[in-house]
Amino acid sequence: MIPLALFVVLGPVAGFLLLAGLPVLRRSGLAAGVVSSAVALATLVAAIVLLVGVEPGAAPVIAQIDWLPHQGEAFARLGVRVDGTSAVMGAVVALIASAVQVYSLGYMASEGRPSIGRYFAWQSLFLFSMQTLVFAPDLLQAFLGWELVGLCSYLLIGFYYQKPSAAKAAVKAFWVTKFADMGLLTGLVLMRWQVGSFAWEAVQPGWTATAIALLVFLGAMGKSAQFPLHVWLPDAMEGPTPVSALLHAATMVAAGVYLVVRTWPLFEASGVALHVVAWVGAITVVVAGLTAMVQDDIKKVLAYSTCSQLGYMVAALGAGSPVAGLFHLTNHAFFKALLFLAAGAAIHAVHSNSIWEMGGLWRSLKGASLLFLVGAAALIGLPGFSGFFSKDFALEALAESHLWGPFALALGGVALTGFYVGRVVVVAFFRRPAKERGRLHTPLVMTVPMTVLAVLAVVGGLLGGPIAGWLGGAYHFHVTPEGLTATVLALGGLGLATWIYGYEGGRRLVVLAAPAGAFIRSGLLDRFYETAWRQGLLVVAHAAGWFDRYVVDGVMNLVAWSVLEGSERTRRIQTGRIPDYVLAVVVAFVVLAAWGAVSGMSGCGSTP
Amino acid sequence: MTPPLTWFLLLSAALFSVGTYGLLTRRNAIAILLSIEIMANAVNINLVAFSRCLGDLAGQVFTLFAISLTVAEVVIGLAIVVLLYRDRDDVRADLADRMRG
Amino acid sequence: MNVALFVVVAAVLLAASISVVAGRELVRSVLWLAVALASTAVLFVLLHAEFIAAVQILLYTGGIITLMLFGVMLTARITGVRIAVGSAGRVRGGLVAVGVFATLAWGILASQGTIVAHEPLDPESTTRLLGAAFLTDYLLPMEVLSLLLLAVMVGAIVLARRRDPS
Repeated sequence: MIPLALFVVLGPVAGFLLLAGLPVLRRSGLAAGVVSSAVALATLVAAIVLLVGVEPGAAPVIAQIDWLPHQGEAFARLGVRVDGTSAVMGAVVALIASAVQVYSLGYMASEGRPSIGRYFAWQSLFLFSMQTLVFAPDLLQAFLGWELVGLCSYLLIGFYYQKPSAAKAAVKAFWVTKFADMGLLTGLVLMRWQVGSFAWEAVQPGWTATAIALLVFLGAMGKSAQFPLHVWLPDAMEGPTPVSALLHAATMVAAGVYLVVRTWPLFEASGVALHVVAWVGAITVVVAGLTAMVQDDIKKVLAYSTCSQLGYMVAALGAGSPVAGLFHLTNHAFFKALLFLAAGAAIHAVHSNSIWEMGGLWRSLKGASLLFLVGAAALIGLPGFSGFFSKDFALEALAESHLWGPFALALGGVALTGFYVGRVVVVAFFRRPAKERGRLHTPLVMTVPMTVLAVLAVVGGLLGGPIAGWLGGAYHFHVTPEGLTATVLALGGLGLATWIYGYEGGRRLVVLAAPAGAFIRSGLLDRFYETAWRQGLLVVAHAAGWFDRYVVDGVMNLVAWSVLEGSERTRRIQTGRIPDYVLAVVVAFVVLAAWGAVSGMSGCGSTP
Repeated sequence: MTPPLTWFLLLSAALFSVGTYGLLTRRNAIAILLSIEIMANAVNINLVAFSRCLGDLAGQVFTLFAISLTVAEVVIGLAIVVLLYRDRDDVRADLADRMRG
Repeated sequence: MNVALFVVVAAVLLAASISVVAGRELVRSVLWLAVALASTAVLFVLLHAEFIAAVQILLYTGGIITLMLFGVMLTARITGVRIAVGSAGRVRGGLVAVGVFATLAWGILASQGTIVAHEPLDPESTTRLLGAAFLTDYLLPMEVLSLLLLAVMVGAIVLARRRDPS
């Protein structure tokens, strides 16, 4: 079991080193992709075997080495921890990563050869980083993996670094998540200081637990794009679409959710922290859902949708149900990756991101459209599709814990989801296209991974029982009032969108809603951050500049000035004329001899 | 009988002072070397006088060493003076101020 | 007899020394130095240090004076027959010299009588004892000294050698 886990973690890094260390391979284009994909598929097999081998409810198996020994005691540990949670997440990550990498072989084929090598090297590095995080035995290793995936995210968002907007988006993602990571880091320090280790099981209930949990959650908010730190995720869509599917929809952004599940004892020890988590998640559901309704870029719609769905997971965690969180995480990974890949196929075919320029794809791009519809159905939560089960489970958890505020918000979010998905589907796939186009083609290498994901998006609901088992919980599907309400709301939203965007009559409603859309679209939050950040930085920078210029430099200048002035004066003593030196010697002799005679130590009078 | 030790010491002190005066006032490098010889000579008188007075041979041994060292010093000093002369056509020590800071 | 001789020799020695430092001609100064060194040899005889006196005459007086004359000739302009040597800062130098003498004299007079005179060394055996001392107790310093003289010889040759124009 341990060797398998080690392979799952370390296999990708071998792939990365191979690509990074062999320029010939890296520059060879698709061969690099094949190597990277093969490694990913191998780790997928290992991860599945590992998952099947984990007994539900069994104690975690940990293999670790001491790291940074300090006074006979390890400062931290490096290793793998295999239990239900990490095995499920590891398998999901490996699966999505494999699908995305295989898909990328087709999607990225038109890039330059060195670019392809670079792309796959980073993909491998990402897979390694993510599995490091997933299988971390304590919080410090998790933090290392956490930062590494952040780095990969930065690199992959900025993949088209020649494009200013992509470079800017990469920096923005880095800044925002790094801000959140300061919280996580502070939490780590606090934990080490107060608890004395990085093991999350060791935390006792109390204010320390609350503080650490909230700080860890701050980090999770950044990574999982929770309101109000979600602003980086839509911009992250500047990266290649498969990257969006893997990092910014399925796995990396879910790392925040996973971290909370992983450090569950920490949150269980603090009721306050759980309430905060529930509210943040629910608010994110609604805010991101509203924003998704007015986006024109298909990837941005999906990005805000991701925020919103992550909100469901977070809210479910806040309701005290890590099973629901991880269940929805798994299903969301399947259908959102599928949606992104299918959208990518559409973008690949149409060469545009705007839903208004697509239109009529159902006719010209049958296969990808069908796959997109499957993903959309799962996202809305149509009965029978995977999203239906997990979202209902999350709502149920909220209702059971009597968090009615977040519950209401989450329920409203279901209607919003129905609306924005319906809008995209109608506009991009069924409207009359702006210009006629022939049949478009999707390469097989792209279709196969999507099909696998589509199957999983349909049957994902069946995974609820096993996942609950692995996490030591229970899940049985049953019809609930919340579930029925949610389904009705989702269908209502879908119907409204169809009516508005499918028929001319609905156009008037859009006009009515325009001011609200303009407000949301204006990016007020972005501007607020920018201003606050810039002004704050300016104030600090001015203060630091003043201090540096007048205090630090002043001291330096004073030192330099006294040395210069002192030497300028003392150098006059050195005339270079020998008689002057002789005079100095003789005078010194006289003075010393006189002094010795006065103090009675002249030596003249001593007798043996 | 031999004059008392103090006389020799006072004579030596006087010679040493005379040498010091020459050292300070002379401008020709060779004249300065001459003044140093006088000072060294004064020291030698001191050493021999003490050797006689204390009945100790060490004073004479040291005098021999001192004479040898003085000769060595004069050799090197003259070599430097010759070098200085070749370089500047002048042996006035107070004009040699190239080491001025 | 001895006291009278000492007074005469001391007067000659002092006068010669003053002439060395105050004379206006360099060649005369060198010759006055010869007088001073020779009269010192007489003092050494008075002090029963015959060997030192011999060395003083043979090596010191002879060697130094020869060297000095060479030095004067090497550095003096051929055209100027009289080689004038100026002095500068006479008052300052005089004051310092008086200061030095006052300090020394004070020390000497203050410690007068604290040294009890011993029996003088046997004049007959002094030279022999000196030779023995150099080969026993002072062997190492003497060897070091010979090494130093060698170094001086080499150094003087290197320093004073005329540079090859190339």
